This record gives sequence, structure tokens and C-alpha cells, in this order.
Amino acid sequence: MKESLLEILCCPLDKHDLELEDAEYDDDGDEIVSGTLVCTECGERYPIEDGIPNLLPPDMREGTPA
Amino acid sequence: MTDRRVDVRHTYDRIATHFASTREYAWPEVEAFVDRIEDGAVGLDLGCGNCRHAELLTTRTDRVIGLDISRGLLETGRARGADREFAGSLDLVQGDCAQLPLGRETVDLAVYVATLHHLPTREARIASLDELARVLTNGGRALVSVWSTAHSRFEAYDEDGDPVTNTDSDDGGEADGFDTTVEWTLPGGELVDRFYHIYTPAEFEADLEASGLETQRFELSSGNCYADVTADENRNALKRTSKRGE
Repeated sequence: MKESLLEILCCPLDKHDLELEDAEYDDDGDEIVSGTLVCTECGERYPIEDGIPNLLPPDMREGTPA
Repeated sequence: MTDRRVDVRHTYDRIATHFASTREYAWPEVEAFVDRIEDGAVGLDLGCGNCRHAELLTTRTDRVIGLDISRGLLETGRARGADREFAGSLDLVQGDCAQLPLGRETVDLAVYVATLHHLPTREARIASLDELARVLTNGGRALVSVWSTAHSRFEAYDEDGDPVTNTDSDDGGEADGFDTTVEWTLPGGELVDRFYHIYTPAEFEADLEASGLETQRFELSSGNCYADVTADENRNALKRTSKRGE
């Protein structure tokens, strides 16, 4: 995930801005490989998993098939 | 409702690789849309799957966001972006089309193709159309398509998608579409059900009208309805609440 995408992304629940925490970058420093996006309003935490932010609302994130 | 949407996610995670391999080419109706629109800064492919339509949008925009509920499908999009060298313009996001994680008025061009019909309730489908209206810039344009009753496999409907039976029933009107499951056959023969709401064209037009979108162009093609839409300039006003209060 490119850091500039943060200007477009928001919390899916309340649409407030997200803050990046614990970011790890690739070797070139261009892409965020892992980290957490945290809503500045409600505090909900969204993981960046292998470079792709998972911004599913929490109730749709659960129940990953075995 | 959430359960059924998680079901859609699970289904596409299971069939992702095979599904994407059968979705190599962009639809001609989407190519025609991309040909008739103006360039923009940010593109969005909702329900992007393997990103074949996101790829088209990269010819018109600086960056394209590919959003899908299924991580498995997003991985097929990532592979296509690498193979066909548009990964540098592609931002992949896992998300729900009815609760978009994108800020207001951030998107200039969007395609929302063959995805809305997977949302299980009218409420969720209109909420999703409202979300598209919220993220479109003023002057932004989107193409929304759904599978419709005009498809030749639905025999109870004529080629315009109108019901050929029950014409005197008064419980139909715009709500003459129906919910169904359509099987996907995996290699080896395993069947996987996918939820669909099959729209009548009139019902699709009504849902667009009930949302914060304005329809600029409407066409039926190959059993699908296609609408070119813009955001209603009053999309953030309260009037829409009453429009759909039924």
C-alpha cells in the first residue's frame, strides 16, 4: 500500500481519517507492507495485511473459513 | 444480513483463482464507457475482482483503487497488475461496497460492474449506491451494471426484462426482480452457490433514483443493465431520506 493512499482512505464506519501505526516498508521504501490503520474518531483498528489494507467493517472481518 | 455478505466473501475466496481465470477480458460495455468519459485523477473499481476493469481505468486516471470484499480475488488483481504492468497505478483495498472506506468526493471515475446484485437486501443495495454518490467528485462519473431479468435465461421475462406473466398482479411494479443463487462449477465439478438479486430494469432505475445518484444514460445489453451516473448535487441533503421512506 502506498502511503499517499491515506489521503483517500477513511474509516468505513464513521468516515473519519485514519492514522498509520507500526508501519513496515518494503526495501525501496515505497510500499507499506504491514501496519495498522486506526480511526482517529472511533479508534477502530484495521490491519494492513501483506500490503493490502483490510478495511472491512469489523463484523464482516470475522468468520474466516477454516 | 452480515452473515450473507460474509458468505459472498467466503464464496469468492473459494472460487477466486478459477473465477479470475475465466474473466480475462474487459466487457465491451465498460470499454465503451471508458472511451466516452473524460480523464480524471482518481479511479475506482468497486468489486474489482481480477482488476480487468481497473486496468482500463488506468488509461484515464493517475491511480486506480481496486476494492473487493474477497482477499482471494484481490490477489488475482495483484497478479494481473504485475503481469500487465499497471501495478504502479493500482491501489488494492479490501472492503465492503455498502460501507466504503473512502473519503467524500475523492473519486473522479468509477466502475461498479456486476457486483451490486450480490448485496442481499434492497436497503444494502441503495446504501451502496449512496456510498458511491458520496465518494464521487462533483463532475465525477460512474458506470453501474447489474445482471437483469432481460437475460435470456429468465424465461418469465421478455427481452426488455418485463415480466410476461402476472401482468395483472399489483404487488410487483418496480419490485419484480427476485433473489436466487447461481452455481459456480469448480474444476472437478464441485458446485459453489452465489447469491444474486436479479433486477428488472425498472426496479434498477428505481433504486438508482432512490439513491444519491443521478442517471445520465441507461442501456440494456447482453442481459445486463448499465447506467452512467453522476452524484446528485443534493446527495448530502436530507430529502433523500424521505424519497426512500417506504
